Amino acid sequence: MTAIGMGVPMEVLLVEDSPGDVRLTQETLRDANRSIHLHVASDGVEAMAFLRHEGVHVRAPRPDLILLDLNLPKMDGREVLAHIKADDSLRLIPVIILTTSESEADIVKSYQLQANCYLSKPVQLEAFESLVKSINDFWLTKVKLPQDNQTR
Amino acid sequence: MSMEWAAKYRGLMEAAPDAMVVVNAAGEIVLLNLQAEKQFGYRRDELIGQRVKNIIPSGFAERLIADGTRSAAEALSQHIGTGIELSALRKDGTEFPIEIMLSPLESAEGILVTAAIRDITVRKEAEKHLAEMEGKYRGLLEAAPDAMVVVNAAGEIVLLNLQAEKQFGYRRAELVGQKVTNIIPEGFAERLIFDGTRSAAEALAQQIGTGIELSARRKDGSAFPIEIMLSPLESAEGILVTAAIRDISVRKAAERHLAQMEGRYRGLLEAAPDAMVVVNEGGEIVLLNLQAEKQFSYRRDELIGQQVTNIIPKGFAERLIADGTRTAAEALAQQIGTGIELSAKRKDGSDFPIEIMLSPLQSPEGILVTAAIRDITLRKTAEKHLAQMEGRYRGLLEAAPDAMALVNQGGTIVLVNAQTEKQFGYRRDELVGQPVTNIIPEGFAEQLIADVLRSVGDASSQHTHTAIELNGRHKDGTQFPTELMLSSLKSAEGALVTVAIRDITTRKQAEALLLQKVEELNRSNEELGQFAYIASHDLQEPLRMVASYTQLLARRYKGRLDADADEFIAFAVDGANRMQRLIQDLLEYSRVGTQGRELVETSSEAAFEQATANLQGAIDESHARVTHDPLPRVLADEGQLTQLFQNLVGNAIKYHGSEAPQVHISSARDGTAKWLFSVQDNGLGIDAKYFDKIFGMFQRLHKREEFDGTGIGLAICKKIVERHGGRLSVESQLGHGSTFRFGLAESVRQS
Repeated sequence: MTAIGMGVPMEVLLVEDSPGDVRLTQETLRDANRSIHLHVASDGVEAMAFLRHEGVHVRAPRPDLILLDLNLPKMDGREVLAHIKADDSLRLIPVIILTTSESEADIVKSYQLQANCYLSKPVQLEAFESLVKSINDFWLTKVKLPQDNQTR
Repeated sequence: MSMEWAAKYRGLMEAAPDAMVVVNAAGEIVLLNLQAEKQFGYRRDELIGQRVKNIIPSGFAERLIADGTRSAAEALSQHIGTGIELSALRKDGTEFPIEIMLSPLESAEGILVTAAIRDITVRKEAEKHLAEMEGKYRGLLEAAPDAMVVVNAAGEIVLLNLQAEKQFGYRRAELVGQKVTNIIPEGFAERLIFDGTRSAAEALAQQIGTGIELSARRKDGSAFPIEIMLSPLESAEGILVTAAIRDISVRKAAERHLAQMEGRYRGLLEAAPDAMVVVNEGGEIVLLNLQAEKQFSYRRDELIGQQVTNIIPKGFAERLIADGTRTAAEALAQQIGTGIELSAKRKDGSDFPIEIMLSPLQSPEGILVTAAIRDITLRKTAEKHLAQMEGRYRGLLEAAPDAMALVNQGGTIVLVNAQTEKQFGYRRDELVGQPVTNIIPEGFAEQLIADVLRSVGDASSQHTHTAIELNGRHKDGTQFPTELMLSSLKSAEGALVTVAIRDITTRKQAEALLLQKVEELNRSNEELGQFAYIASHDLQEPLRMVASYTQLLARRYKGRLDADADEFIAFAVDGANRMQRLIQDLLEYSRVGTQGRELVETSSEAAFEQATANLQGAIDESHARVTHDPLPRVLADEGQLTQLFQNLVGNAIKYHGSEAPQVHISSARDGTAKWLFSVQDNGLGIDAKYFDKIFGMFQRLHKREEFDGTGIGLAICKKIVERHGGRLSVESQLGHGSTFRFGLAESVRQS
């Protein structure tokens, strides 16, 4: 059982190629919850390497939550999502699509690929801060997630 | 012999017309007369005492010797009156036939024989000629096809031929010498007796060549009709009559039949609808009917016996003469059923066109020609009219801008116009009579035949005005697209199909070009839509960075930098915000085209309710009064219809004057299948000069300080209405509010 009150840091993987977005997410998430360990993969290939502990990521922790952008270099977010959900060891990790796209096609496609939820990034800073806070409140606080050992 | 007797006898002898020679029993000439001197060419003293053999070499002396052995009485009785024919010899050695009459005479010197010698040269020749003649005559008689019977003045049969035996059933011997009344009971014998009272010349003149019809009787008693031709013949036995007897049973039957036929024929003739005129080989009219009287305006008696040229001046009489030189069979074969067009003349001299049908008729009077004459004035007029029509039609045909062809049921071209020649590169004579597949290789001939197999009326109703597109083939082999218009046409030659062939190469090219343009336009529109969408979408990313970080900057560093920095940061934040609005509006605008849904039956009232619900905040804030009439069901994309109402009502509230906004939505029927919607407000109103401008993208009539917004709202409205097949218009006066109108199609199931 992972809970904020127990002082155990939450491992979150952010898959995002834009350094500006990475920084903005880091800033707003830190404001919301200082105990979160935010790991960043800047493309789909690196994200899969991180999740599968490959290369430099051999010691990478298993994330409790994945924040996944759709438009990424090398391997885009849809492919990453498909790989995760096709992998028995990864498919229980909740994946939140966090993207600028408001396209209906992207939304439908994401849910078809078993995304756990789809969020679009608001342009306004305050709205973004509010969104990140609600992710923390819901996915990292209220939601009960499976134990690490049960999914390994 | 006493001198007195001798003198007397000598006188008699010298006066005799015949040569007289007296011969003694020794065969010596003892006396002769002047005639004898002449006949034999000797002087008297040269013969006296000579042997009679010198002048009559045989037959006479021998007879004397023979006679000498008999008694004088016997010899006398035997020789007197007996004409013996012998041959005599003249002094010059020539022979000639003689007839001798001997008369013995007893004298002191024994029996003397007086021979009266007649030169029968002429008679012999006549006899010889007669025998030859008789031979020939008999041959002729036997060879004659008719029964020939020769009867004498007493009415007795003296001669008959084989045909007569057959015809009457008697043997020749049973008839010769019998009364002719045995075989011809009446009319023949009487005639002979009557004739007998006249001179032979009269009888001859009267009877020769006259066919007398009588009744004959056979040996078995049966009677049969005969025709007799009599020819009297003078003979030694008096006037003989040769009768040529022909059995006319068959002819009589035929005549009876003919008489019946004639009766019927006359009835037919009178009943005929055409004028009928029967003409003989001399070109004379022998018969005509009532119609002929009427047609030519003559009475019957004015025409009978007249030349047919009186009523048909040319072409008919000549034809008869021509026919006269041929056999009836030929004439028949050639003329029957042939309609000959000629000109006829009435009694009053006026001409009129006729059609003649000739049928030769063999009759005892030679070949008669029955002419059925039809007045064809009306037909000629019709034909003339038709020719004019055809002329006009041909003119039209030639003037037609399309290639026109007439095609028969067999798929053969029967007529083409000039345009066809041009279009297909053939000369007219290269097309007419050829299969239509030469110029329209596929699809046409088969279709044509199939159509004509149906009823003509059916085919015409189905195929007139039906344009069929098929390829045409030029003489040079190139193919080009054509459009065919078919219509069937009944004609004397059967059903024809008129084909108007239009070269649609240019149209096809234009269509292809248009299609290409439409495709290009579609692609370009799609690209534009995609561009607008992607651009707006991808522009969001950097924009968010600018907006977020300038805001973060403002939040964290406001008051920590100088006043200028704070102002600059504020402008940057505002710019980023506006740009974000623009991009979002652009995105929304592009979505009208790219993300629209199918038009379905929709409640416009529900869409309106949804729009006002979305606007509730603005309505409450401005204390607006939004009213509406009952709104109909229409064909629409409900989401877009909601957006349309929302934008229009939103604008009406937004651009309000000093009074609280009042908006009224109404709808009215526009024609049969449309509804016209009106959104009326009491707002600021719009200057008429901006009516066009307000529907453009990002067009604004107010400063940002006065009214917020990018100016996309009405552009989106216009695009939505146009996507629904309508037109958005405005009616307004500055300061007096505005009315926006748009039409929507009525839903099929209108309540």
